[in-house]
Amino acid sequence: MTDMTKMSQGIARVNKKNKIGHDRVFPVVNTLILILLMIVTLYPVINTVAYSFNDGTDALRGNIGLWPRVFSLKAYESILSDNAVYQAAWISASKTVITTLLNLFWTSMLAFALSRREYVLRKFITTVMVLTMYVNAGLIPNYLLISRTLSLSKSYWVYIIPTMFSCFNMIVIRTYIGGLPDALVESARIDGAGDIRVFWQIIFPLCMPVLATVALFVAVGSWNSWFDTHLYNAGKKNLHSLQYLLKMKLATTQASANAAKSSAEALASTTQTTPVTIRCAITVISTVPILIVYPFLQKYFVTGMALGSVKG
Amino acid sequence: MKKFLAAFLALAMIASLLPAALADGGLEPITLTVFRGDPGDQPDENNKIYKLIEEEFGIKFEFEFLAGDLDETLGLKIANEDYPDLFDGGNSADLIINNGALINLLDYISPEKTPRLWAHIEPQKARIIEKDAEGNDVLYIIPNYGLGEGEQIANEINGPAFFVQKQVLEWAGYPQIKTLNQYFDVLEKFLAANPTDENGSPYIGFDILCEDWRHFCLINPVQHLMGRPNDGEVLVDVSTPEYKTETFIDKPYAKAYYKKLNEEFHKGLISKDTFVMNYDQYIAQISSGTVLGMFDQTWDFGNATNALRTAKMDNKTYIALGLVYDPEYVDGKEIEEHYLNGSVPNIRRGFGISVNCKCPERIIAMWEEMLSEKWQLIFNWGIEGEDYYVENGRLLMTKEQFAQTQDSTWQKANKARAFFESSPKRQGWILEGEFAGNCWEPGNQPEIYFDQMTDYDKAFLSAYGYQKPADFVNPPIQLAPYGEAWQIDYTPVDIEHQDFLNIQDKRLPEMIMCDPAEFDAKWDAFVEEITPSATAFGDFMQQAILKEAAKVDPNVVLPE
Amino acid sequence: MSIVRNAQGKEIRAKNKGFFRTLFSQWQLMVMSVPMLLYVLLFNYGPMWGWVTAFQDYKPKLGMLGSKFVGLKNFEWLFTRQDFINSIRNTLAMSVINLVFGTVSSILLAILLNEVRNRGFKRTVQTVTYLPHFLSMVIVVGMAQNIFSSNGAVNALLMNLGLVREPVFFLGEGKYFWWLVGVINVWKEVGWNTIIYISAMTAIDPCLYEAASIDGAGRFHKIMNVTLPGIRSTFVILLIMNIGHLMEAGFEIQYLLGSSVVMDWSQTIDVFVLQYGISKQQYGVATAAGMFKSIVAIILLVSANAISRRLGEDTLI
Repeated sequence: MTDMTKMSQGIARVNKKNKIGHDRVFPVVNTLILILLMIVTLYPVINTVAYSFNDGTDALRGNIGLWPRVFSLKAYESILSDNAVYQAAWISASKTVITTLLNLFWTSMLAFALSRREYVLRKFITTVMVLTMYVNAGLIPNYLLISRTLSLSKSYWVYIIPTMFSCFNMIVIRTYIGGLPDALVESARIDGAGDIRVFWQIIFPLCMPVLATVALFVAVGSWNSWFDTHLYNAGKKNLHSLQYLLKMKLATTQASANAAKSSAEALASTTQTTPVTIRCAITVISTVPILIVYPFLQKYFVTGMALGSVKG
Repeated sequence: MKKFLAAFLALAMIASLLPAALADGGLEPITLTVFRGDPGDQPDENNKIYKLIEEEFGIKFEFEFLAGDLDETLGLKIANEDYPDLFDGGNSADLIINNGALINLLDYISPEKTPRLWAHIEPQKARIIEKDAEGNDVLYIIPNYGLGEGEQIANEINGPAFFVQKQVLEWAGYPQIKTLNQYFDVLEKFLAANPTDENGSPYIGFDILCEDWRHFCLINPVQHLMGRPNDGEVLVDVSTPEYKTETFIDKPYAKAYYKKLNEEFHKGLISKDTFVMNYDQYIAQISSGTVLGMFDQTWDFGNATNALRTAKMDNKTYIALGLVYDPEYVDGKEIEEHYLNGSVPNIRRGFGISVNCKCPERIIAMWEEMLSEKWQLIFNWGIEGEDYYVENGRLLMTKEQFAQTQDSTWQKANKARAFFESSPKRQGWILEGEFAGNCWEPGNQPEIYFDQMTDYDKAFLSAYGYQKPADFVNPPIQLAPYGEAWQIDYTPVDIEHQDFLNIQDKRLPEMIMCDPAEFDAKWDAFVEEITPSATAFGDFMQQAILKEAAKVDPNVVLPE
Repeated sequence: MSIVRNAQGKEIRAKNKGFFRTLFSQWQLMVMSVPMLLYVLLFNYGPMWGWVTAFQDYKPKLGMLGSKFVGLKNFEWLFTRQDFINSIRNTLAMSVINLVFGTVSSILLAILLNEVRNRGFKRTVQTVTYLPHFLSMVIVVGMAQNIFSSNGAVNALLMNLGLVREPVFFLGEGKYFWWLVGVINVWKEVGWNTIIYISAMTAIDPCLYEAASIDGAGRFHKIMNVTLPGIRSTFVILLIMNIGHLMEAGFEIQYLLGSSVVMDWSQTIDVFVLQYGISKQQYGVATAAGMFKSIVAIILLVSANAISRRLGEDTLI
């Protein structure tokens, strides 16, 4: 308790001092640079949104800026009118949550174990883990392992089990833990805590910023993946993920644009959506959930989750 | 209570009898797994056509469509021997056939057992039925398209052609454009007189799309200028039984075309950007009405044509022209134009039945029944009174009815596309019965076809004294005995073929953009670079074409 | 002095005990790490028998046991092709450019963000800059193509400034290609890549800034002496990992941005394998290329790790 109050006082003090010490020019220049950067990165995003709300046929002409030229909801309608989208969104959301939690659990625990210098298996396990990032057996052996040896295809588990762990994220967490003061662990041990307790009670809560980062990486990866559905669950309608469905929608729109039709058929189909707007609407639909979740993670990225109190 | 019980028992009895009744007819309900080698929409749960199929045949479908790369997907299915019941390998069907994934349909199809299916393939059976390694007759896939009945329907060019905006011809006083020089001549003159459109955007004389597989816009025109329909990347001399086959891109007559393009590039008709633009940019240019001409295939820019029409720029839509070389390019020879070919059976495209399927008889029996007039009308036209109507023996649709057939949301509930597109089907004209003289497909039915034509197009055509766009070119010629050469499976020379394409893709744009003084030297270097792969590919194609032709033409002598 | 305590808190001198005794005393760490070890052995190393196909004329139908062994033929085929050699060069060039541009830009942005005191503004900038990460490559490349075309914004700017007399053919000349890829990648990923550095900066002890202020250090000095050292280990670890990834330059951006006229500069190993590997049923060749990439990656990784150790920096392994 006292630690916490000390910590927050510390933050307040630091901020105050920094503000006083400001020189005048830097903040202005910095703000200008960041605003410029925002404009440069925001343009393609707004442009994409503008396209997604534009009439499909008109959008083919290109040259749409920050606002739709001929407003239309057709692209969204054609995607969202399909009931399968909602089932798929549920599949995607649930697998994202489960995968993220499992990842955080296993990855952070392993990261802690591998951050302990005294651990005799440290070097061996680290090496084995790290190499997984660089060796790839190729598609066919992986496919056979999952669908034949483990019989995971045509099931929900294929979304969860093969994606429970990522070495990159483990390293990120390990590096973060490595930056924490050793004294934390040592003092806990003196109090008689075992490694598992040390990890859960002391290290894990302090890792929130990096766990938020890793959660974001894992969640975005899981939410955006379509290849697993394509490989293993394409024939199972009720297990389709949202991204797979959206990908299919785009592919279908593209294929129908290229289908050899009689001119009579082509003429009658002028109200159709086109790949250009569908692609943009898909981007918007799949990004909005991430935008909604992000602020909840972002609050962990605040400078000064001070550890000073512990050190002092 | 007793009454209720009795009713319940009665119901239960009926319910238990139902499957038995079905089983009597051998119609135990089954679900077939289906793979389509292209993307598609899952049909709605209560799609009316699939309901009918389920009622009549007791068969339901579970569809899998292609989302990723076709070859990769098929490779995995083969490695795992994980085949669906109905297997459509799309453009890579050769891969599944060569790996033994499909059963030989000839074990189930015969004039006695399946008269309709037999009658359907009979006219083209020499082409469709192949020999396997042991020399047995085999048929793995009944072509999904191209087995038309009656006179070939050719209202328009749907394939390759040189295109020109209608306004260019209108401006020039509706001239006849038949040769390469005439074509670029009219483009040059129009561009000189009208450098920009009404909004001040500059016109582009001639676009060449080079992106990925769409590079046919760059590398295919020469064969057509030489007077042959689409044989892919080879030119075949069909006048002799030797069917002399050569790659055309490395020949002097090809040089003439690219030299012409080089000239036009320096005259400003072709822009540098055309060689690096992607498909979307190409469509954007065409849709904004600033591209005067290009070589392409009609379907490749169908969306852009729609955009032009919706933007009320009918005069900037295109007409397909069948150009040939002027005699000066080919030693004074007069070349006869042939852009339209006889209708081509889509060999090795469509559903095959996999070796894992437990009930091939059921599928064959279903297809057999579905080739009846009743079912073909259901698939093509829908339900009478709902989707179409009949008047004086004519099959007709209102404008609204026809428009909804093109709406993908409507299709999901009311069309059986995913199944029907890859199944055997009847095309062309209905030759007998009460509807004789109608077309199997609504889009070809003359009433509907001409009803859809815009007033601008009618006026444009009548200025030439024509009825339909295809009148700009010669009527279809007879299909060569070997079919169309692009259908041939060239897997054995795949690598050489890829090299062959890569060199063209790389060098042709360079030559079109180069200093005219350097052109000849560059061309010679190109020919030297491409000769090894061109020879390998050309030699293979020569053999393959002879083999194909020998099926139909008894005069062909196969080399030892 | 390495001191290990078991669950009861009893001190053991690790050096004096046998390996297994120590291991046994570390059972809690094993509980935390061995399950994932088994997991990767199954999922990542299990399929490694697939590497056998690099020495085979692999046919999916025949499988690994039935396919014919061809020795080193697949490797020979690859390394005698000029375009494969080219694609190695292109891959390395583009990934080095990406690595340098990407790292520098994201650290720079992280520092700038770290200096923002207004929380709302900071959050907004962060959210906005990472958004392009979610745009598909097709959209981003499409936009870049418009911007860099002959009549695009960049050429218009250069002409207006009088820097060039006629439009630069950015998309059609090989010498620009690698740099374009670098620029587009930075544009798309800078915000996203910053997240990891920002989270690393949260671990910096605010007292350090305080102490520096008391010593009279200016902003620049604080960045140099507090912020940068604070993210040093993250930087080093990411650098080592990315050096191992130098053989991966991706294929989507090259595939989309490239055209036949710049093929000699745009083709990466992955694009080459896509064109000549699986789609031509040359499965053995695809595996051989993958194996080659893995081996080079491991060599690069181990060297980078060793150099880092020599320099007294953090190490990955």
